[in-house]
Amino acid sequence: MSNKVIKYILILALAIIAAIVIFEFVSNNPDKRPSNPFEFNVDNYKAVDETLISYKETRQIAIKDGIPGAIAFSHGQLYLLVDDYLQVILPGGMEVFKRKLSEKPNCIAVDRDGFIFIGFENRIRTYDKVGIEINLSEVASDKSHFTALAVSDDLIYVADAGEKQIRVYDKKLQQKHVFNGESGVSDVHGFILPSAHFDLAVNSDNELWAVNPGLHAIQNYSETGRLRGFWSKSSFENDGFSGCCNPYYIAFLSNGSFVTSEKGLVRIKIHKESGELSSVVAAPEKFSNGTKAPALAVDESDNIIALDFDRKMIRFFEPK
Amino acid sequence: MSKLQSRRQFISGCARYSLGLTIAGVIGFSLTNASSQQWLWQIDPFKCTNCGRCATHCVLNPSAVKCVHAYALCGYCDLCGGYLKPGHIARNTAAENQLCPTAAIERKLIEEPYYEYHINEELCIGCAKCVEGCSSFGNGSLHLQIRQNICVNCNECAIARVCPSDAIKRIPADEPYLIKGGFEHGQTL
Repeated sequence: MSNKVIKYILILALAIIAAIVIFEFVSNNPDKRPSNPFEFNVDNYKAVDETLISYKETRQIAIKDGIPGAIAFSHGQLYLLVDDYLQVILPGGMEVFKRKLSEKPNCIAVDRDGFIFIGFENRIRTYDKVGIEINLSEVASDKSHFTALAVSDDLIYVADAGEKQIRVYDKKLQQKHVFNGESGVSDVHGFILPSAHFDLAVNSDNELWAVNPGLHAIQNYSETGRLRGFWSKSSFENDGFSGCCNPYYIAFLSNGSFVTSEKGLVRIKIHKESGELSSVVAAPEKFSNGTKAPALAVDESDNIIALDFDRKMIRFFEPK
Repeated sequence: MSKLQSRRQFISGCARYSLGLTIAGVIGFSLTNASSQQWLWQIDPFKCTNCGRCATHCVLNPSAVKCVHAYALCGYCDLCGGYLKPGHIARNTAAENQLCPTAAIERKLIEEPYYEYHINEELCIGCAKCVEGCSSFGNGSLHLQIRQNICVNCNECAIARVCPSDAIKRIPADEPYLIKGGFEHGQTL
């Protein structure tokens, strides 16, 4: 065999090897792979009519250190729980103070006098305006898992996702009532919590409203646990709630309208007191493709403050 | 007296020692292999992105990857995001309302309004559609695992090769599954 033939054979072999390598590279390149034939797609429900959006995002504050847990707004200040720290900042971002807490906190609320109430796994602690601990409740139960706090003029309401109960304390952290809620069916537990999350809020009329996610409902209770009213709406469309854990967080505007945030289809909306959809604050396109619903707070001007866990930032939405 | 060996004796000695070493090596290797840990392929559910390739790239058809259910994490709820497809008409077992393309999830009433969701592995193809629905809208109790009674344990797992999140790894055979609830995110094996 002549050298020329051998040379051609070697060149051909090299070309074949190169083609195989290129084919392998291209076929394994994520961008070149065929789309997922089994894709779970909710894009149809992400579209929101622009006329329905009543708020615009104006700015953000990044949370650089730690994992954010909860947020509250009161007295012109933002109260943040990050890891096991209480951080109080001005809306402009300047830190007022930062205190290390004795255990990992879950939820926070501030009353009209500026006292700070923080819910931990199964107890509450009270702090003064500068973050000094001044009181501590008894442990509620070994199964307790506190996930939300709200304060009225006289009472503190605690959502206990572990026991599926709402606990009512006075300001001295003495438990006054505890109730299971009502589902409408006598032999079924009132609060149906598919996951270990349970939210509640108090409006400007001191009324307690609690989320019943297993029913896609928001329910109004008296302090002793009597169901006084509710509304619910199951839907993937903007006017309702989808999945098994929504609405995830609620808050109130000054006119009594509900602000809600959801997971899955991550979005923030405003519902009238009757439950009817009023407008959309932030459409799903505003959020990363994560699964975490943003925690909510509302300031004195009805600006909506969202704690975005995926992007680790506080996001401010103002009326258009 | 001279102790010098002849060439024949030297070669013969070398051959004997070589044979002895070879036999000892083989026995040693076999014993080591017999007592060492066996390894299997498994999916880390916290890394899985539900891309669908487990259904299409396994050398077996249907895939050895199946959906499993961490019952301890499940909310047993009526409005399961892993069972009902987005925009479902009603919360029932009608095919038009089911998310699973092979109807592999069986829904059973426990007591109103709680339902148990059971995976029929004969029908499951490991497509992760329900896993994505459960993770997005629920609490992630549905997740994928390689069923070791079906997997042929290839030297190079065809799914691991194309997994975009590097979620498939070798784990010890004495702990063959990474079930959510009994295995924490970030845990090293």
